[in-house]
Amino acid sequence: MAKLIGGLGTSHVPSIAMAIDKGLRDTPDWKPFFDGYVPGQDWVRENRPDVAVVIFNDHGNSFFLDRVPTFAVGCAEEYRPADEGWGPRPIPPFKGAVDLSWHLIDTLVENRFDPMICQEIDVDHGIQVPMELFFGRPEAWPVRVVPIFVNVIQYPIPLPSRCYEMGRVLRRAIESFRGDERVVVIGTGGLSHQLQGARAGFVNPEADRAFLRDIAADPGRLAAMSREQYVETFGSEGAELMMWLVMRGAMNAEVEVRHSHYFVPASMTGAGMIVLENKPADAGRAAA
Amino acid sequence: MSSPAPIVWPSSRATGAGALQIVLLPGLLCDESVFAHQVEALRPYANAVVANLSEDDSITGMAERALALRDGPLVVIGHSMGARAALEMARLAPQRVARLVLMDTGAHPRREGEEVKRQALIDLADREGMAALAERWLPPMVHEDRVGDDALMAPLRAMVMRATPAQHARQIRALLNRPDARPLLPAIECPTLVMVGRQDRWSPLAQHEEIAAAIPDATLVVIEDSGHMAPVEQPRAVTDALLAWLGFPDAKDRPMDAPDRIPDIPLFDRQRQLKGYRLNKMAMGLAKPENRDAFRADEGAYLDRFGLTPEEKRAVMARDWREMVRLGGNVFFILKISAIDPARMTEIGAHQAGMDHDAFLRERLGKR
Repeated sequence: MAKLIGGLGTSHVPSIAMAIDKGLRDTPDWKPFFDGYVPGQDWVRENRPDVAVVIFNDHGNSFFLDRVPTFAVGCAEEYRPADEGWGPRPIPPFKGAVDLSWHLIDTLVENRFDPMICQEIDVDHGIQVPMELFFGRPEAWPVRVVPIFVNVIQYPIPLPSRCYEMGRVLRRAIESFRGDERVVVIGTGGLSHQLQGARAGFVNPEADRAFLRDIAADPGRLAAMSREQYVETFGSEGAELMMWLVMRGAMNAEVEVRHSHYFVPASMTGAGMIVLENKPADAGRAAA
Repeated sequence: MSSPAPIVWPSSRATGAGALQIVLLPGLLCDESVFAHQVEALRPYANAVVANLSEDDSITGMAERALALRDGPLVVIGHSMGARAALEMARLAPQRVARLVLMDTGAHPRREGEEVKRQALIDLADREGMAALAERWLPPMVHEDRVGDDALMAPLRAMVMRATPAQHARQIRALLNRPDARPLLPAIECPTLVMVGRQDRWSPLAQHEEIAAAIPDATLVVIEDSGHMAPVEQPRAVTDALLAWLGFPDAKDRPMDAPDRIPDIPLFDRQRQLKGYRLNKMAMGLAKPENRDAFRADEGAYLDRFGLTPEEKRAVMARDWREMVRLGGNVFFILKISAIDPARMTEIGAHQAGMDHDAFLRERLGKR
């Protein structure tokens, strides 16, 4: 059976991609940000995942407002980088983990989560940036991916508690997959930021640090918050943070924080990263 | 349902000086939680406050306390015992009560034998505590089909347990000594909304028909599938009736300039995305190279292809980000304009915040 080896969380700010593209990694503005990801990259290299299940949102690139899925799962052979207006970025396309995708879709539906099923879809910075942050800029990605899209733009967006519950189902799905893949789940988005309205530029470093602490130690608190509380606490676009709850829901009740990093501001965003492993004592429980 | 003539308030602002003031009065053993849905929905239109009636032992005392919460004209919304206090406000200060809403209530004085039944509950609370009181008192308060509905009952039980036996005794004293409000009803000059749950077993529909008939400018609304606790049993129906009667538009008809539900946060809701659909579709088009070329070649002609209004066209051509967002543009779509005519995200942010770019970086984002 496939094995869930860890849960990762990271922001997916497009300016990070631009900084990489323009070679700004080691400039004073960006170096402290990128340096914080080195332990995360080391962890990934040492733990050799085969598949990354990446939870992210599309930003008006793959979906327009004519059809907005609340949850969508990709099951394509390949996902190309979307043209977000600047032309597709010079990164390799992502290879899909097709069989695992279908198994996740089957399991989700059997457990009353009914996602849109996408066999041909481009993917935007929501998945690109997290992949680059953890895997660098290789010739070809060292992992295959399952992209899972969550609508956090067009209201009504889903409930945070629903995202958390979906994570639990993903866990069961991954661990019931007939294969020997080593799987990481990556929750992306946030942390605090607001890009529109008179409160644009709102960041909340204190709440961001508390989030990074509690996503490991007290995810129940974060899952119980309302959408309005996310928006008020983390800014209108900070509501993306509920996508980390999908990742966290896939992990054991007790987790170990292997690495965590916070930097503000990346462009207009409080940027954070976390690497979680299930506590060994607890390892058999969720799988049982 | 028709609404009464619009209220002319000093200004249409929802908050701050000159805002429309709404005071809500909860019933026996109730607190602000019973009005949570209504208060949330009223937020864009008014400054709404829920009175704390837990300290008073007379209806007049409750009315005086509620009147002191705000200055000037009020919309007064009372539920059950709170509606009796609302009627008392209309008696004490008729010039201040501009609109009156009476929910699941009565105007008659103490009935024969009422004292004995109420005393039994006071004794129960004293003897066995608030949990026992909740167990006895709550079930007849709701629609009989909902008695076992934990989603409804658990928060109500928790609310009763937040109260104390002493509060209960005080409020019962107030209720037993309540004034006879019936002579007041024909003298109420302001528009009045009378609302009741169809299955209210505590204060039945017939009682509300009498109240509505006695008030010169009254509208009666019956909330279907609801007992006495209408604001929590059917929160959406109560809120919809309230907003319609007050003349506040439904969210989908709300003008774009109405204040945001969460201040200064333009949530991309049904009304915004409908309003901004063309604008966002135009911007989405810029994900295609041939459309970017068309935009560069003749911006006006490109915008016309999407049927933009003159107002929308002006906002785009002036790169007026704040105005584009006001018109329903969502930043993730309109950002594509900055791929053609470069603008940094922080510049777009500063513009919306109405700030100079350096000040924005410094004050909002804590840079240098």
